[in-house]
Amino acid sequence: MNKKMVFYLLLMISANFLNSTELTQNIFDSAVELYQNKNYEQALLEFEKIRNEKVQNADLYYNIGNCHYRLQELGEAVLNYKIALKIDPTHQAARRNLRFVLTQTKDKQQLDHENRIFSFWQKIFNSMSINLLSLLSLIFFLLVILIIDLIILRYAGREKTAPIFIMIIAIIFLVIFATLTAIKYHEFRAMDEAVLLSPSAIGYSGPSAEFTRVFTIHEGMIFNVEKEQNGWSLIKLKNGLGGWIKKDNFRRVTF
Amino acid sequence: MKIKIFFITLLILLMFSHLAAEIDIQAYVDKTKIGTQDILKLTIEVSGNKAGSVPQPELPEIKNFVNRGVSTSSSSSYSIINGKMESQVTKSYIFRLQPQKAGNFIIPPISIQYKGKNHTTQPIKINVIQGSTEPAPPTSSRHQRREKPSASSSQKLSDNLFLKTIVNKRSVYKNEPLIVKYKLYSRYNISNLSFGEEPDFQGFWKDDIFIPKQVNFDRENYQGQLFSTMLMRSTALIPNEAGDLEIPSQELVVDIRTEPRSFFDFGSSKRYTIRSKSVKIKVKELPIQNRPVNFSNAVGQFQLDSDISSNVLKVGDSFTYTLKISGTGNLNQIDVPKLPDINNLRFLDPEISTSINNNKISGTKTIKYLVIAQEKGQFQLPAIKFTFFDTKSKSYRTLQTEIYDLSVAEGESNFIQSSAAQSIVQQEGTDISFIITKTELQNRTILVEKFLYWFIWFLFISTIPIVKIYAKEKNKLAANTDYLRQKKAKRILKKYLKQASRKAAATDPEFYTAVQNGLSNYLADKLAIARGSSTEELFQKLKENLSDENTYTELQKIFVKCDQARFMPGGFSKNDIRQDFEKIKNLLSKLSRIKGGKK
Repeated sequence: MNKKMVFYLLLMISANFLNSTELTQNIFDSAVELYQNKNYEQALLEFEKIRNEKVQNADLYYNIGNCHYRLQELGEAVLNYKIALKIDPTHQAARRNLRFVLTQTKDKQQLDHENRIFSFWQKIFNSMSINLLSLLSLIFFLLVILIIDLIILRYAGREKTAPIFIMIIAIIFLVIFATLTAIKYHEFRAMDEAVLLSPSAIGYSGPSAEFTRVFTIHEGMIFNVEKEQNGWSLIKLKNGLGGWIKKDNFRRVTF
Repeated sequence: MKIKIFFITLLILLMFSHLAAEIDIQAYVDKTKIGTQDILKLTIEVSGNKAGSVPQPELPEIKNFVNRGVSTSSSSSYSIINGKMESQVTKSYIFRLQPQKAGNFIIPPISIQYKGKNHTTQPIKINVIQGSTEPAPPTSSRHQRREKPSASSSQKLSDNLFLKTIVNKRSVYKNEPLIVKYKLYSRYNISNLSFGEEPDFQGFWKDDIFIPKQVNFDRENYQGQLFSTMLMRSTALIPNEAGDLEIPSQELVVDIRTEPRSFFDFGSSKRYTIRSKSVKIKVKELPIQNRPVNFSNAVGQFQLDSDISSNVLKVGDSFTYTLKISGTGNLNQIDVPKLPDINNLRFLDPEISTSINNNKISGTKTIKYLVIAQEKGQFQLPAIKFTFFDTKSKSYRTLQTEIYDLSVAEGESNFIQSSAAQSIVQQEGTDISFIITKTELQNRTILVEKFLYWFIWFLFISTIPIVKIYAKEKNKLAANTDYLRQKKAKRILKKYLKQASRKAAATDPEFYTAVQNGLSNYLADKLAIARGSSTEELFQKLKENLSDENTYTELQKIFVKCDQARFMPGGFSKNDIRQDFEKIKNLLSKLSRIKGGKK
């Protein structure tokens, strides 16, 4: 009786799932066709329909970004590429396009770190997805457990240097990958990055227009949001400048 | 007499004292009337007892004269007067000056700075006439003998020794080459020849065709007189500006050996500088009328040839397309004909070589293109045009190459022959990448957020205690096999007791047999001694392990009773059976508490 219930449950879920994917897939194809016919506005509407179904797919956000770029909405384009990269940091096309679009914004921004060594590590880090990292940690954990089991079973009363040495190495790797997974997951769920969508915004030294003007940023600027207070947000730019801008000028990189 | 001697010594002393203090400088020439072909010797004499340390006087720029070099000589004389030695040194600098043209000139004063004092010579007036003031040396006997019939032979030097300028054209177009020759005519015995100053060919592009390496005379009858002639220089000139240009005169330095007059006279050598006459050339601008747009700057007479290495090709193959421009004219200054645009063929930068004949104005220019076929199909290599100005017909002419048909077949590979002319792919524009048209619209699963992922971690961890317990159990088994027996002992006892209790219920005398068997086996296993050991052995062992004396004696009693019941008929009462069973049960609960034999 139990088995039967599980079976029905599975059937129901899969049917539901299949049905919805087939539908969204159709919308996706029609949107691609619209894009190919250079009807970017309609294509964007169709893509957004799928997005509103809570589909978390990097390719989808990438395509939405492309539509926005074609419609000369640089801020939206940057935002959507950023989301695509957040979902899948290994998305090369999104990275390439983001880099290209950032050359067209009014404010000069760099996607890659200037320091070569740092940018090298960043590249490696970006090239590994969170799932890959979590799987790697799992594999090294399994290795550690296996070695412990082996020591218990076979090395009772014997010289244990060799297996313990291997185990220490495995533990080091485990710690590295587990840390990376944690960082990655934190980044993945972080809400602090945001993109300016209004043509320009003025940063003040306090949460009101009466304070001193600190800077002016333009559409497509990427920055971190630190806190919010009655309609104003304290943001921090990549170059270290901080200031308060109106909350409705930007949107957070999140899905 | 004494007075006379006194005066002379006084005079000399005065003179010397004067000389000792000063130096004397004077300038003089060998003659004041000379010809343009003669050389003036200007001597500057410095005298005084310290004249040796006077630096060589600097000759200032003398107008209309050219300095031909300097020679120095010095003489010194010593005299001892009143036991004192006095020295007198005279230093002479002889400058050889060559007048440039006829007229009255002045050699300016020459000054020397010595010990802060300025010493200056007097200016000298010189009268220069055309030709030479010197009597011309008699012409060579070789020539004299021949020309004896013609008595009108001139004795003037310029009639017997001259350099002639021969130009092949007096009127040319700009960029049209012409040849100028300098020819020496002489009726003297010439011992040495050398070029003077190099003339400045202003307005011309110059290339020497011929300069003799050794003296080699020909005979030539010139205006009724026999001359030794020699071509001194032949030069190709290409005028690069229009207007009246002058071909400058060439200077030649000639040494003439005079005929010995007597047996003791070996003759002497005399140096003359002769100069050719400059020649005026008219250079015409090329006509602007009818000048084609793609005029190649070529002036002269040319021919155009073309050649193609193969016209049946595959894609990626290359062939050589050769253009040859040959003829007379300014080949070095020709612009390479322009290629028409042909899309499906790639022309690499041409290799241009120019070979000029010895006469410097004719030759061949070869232009070789390496062409790569880039698409398959039938193509035409169009005619290439070359326009030049024909100096014969005095008009522009256009030559055309042949039209070649090419057939390009599908290539086996797109390999393009490597060549220095390969270019790096250039970026022509920037844009975003295209959208992704095919994707699986699935939500990305994040493993870290899944229960299963962490459950697998938990499973791994849980293997550790499981393995640990397993290993412990295994260790126990491995360490002591008796442990197994001890564990089994209880089961055996249970089995016998069950049997015994059934017998007890039936008050069967078999009861005692079952009890004895069961107890002895149980104790043997429990005490880890071999089964079937004698009762004495069993008790011996039991005594060692059992601390409670009471239990021991009770056990002994039961064993004795069992023996009696089994081997002595009527050795037991039926009532006893129940009692004994209760007794044994009590005993066993006590026995189970003893530890087994040695571990």
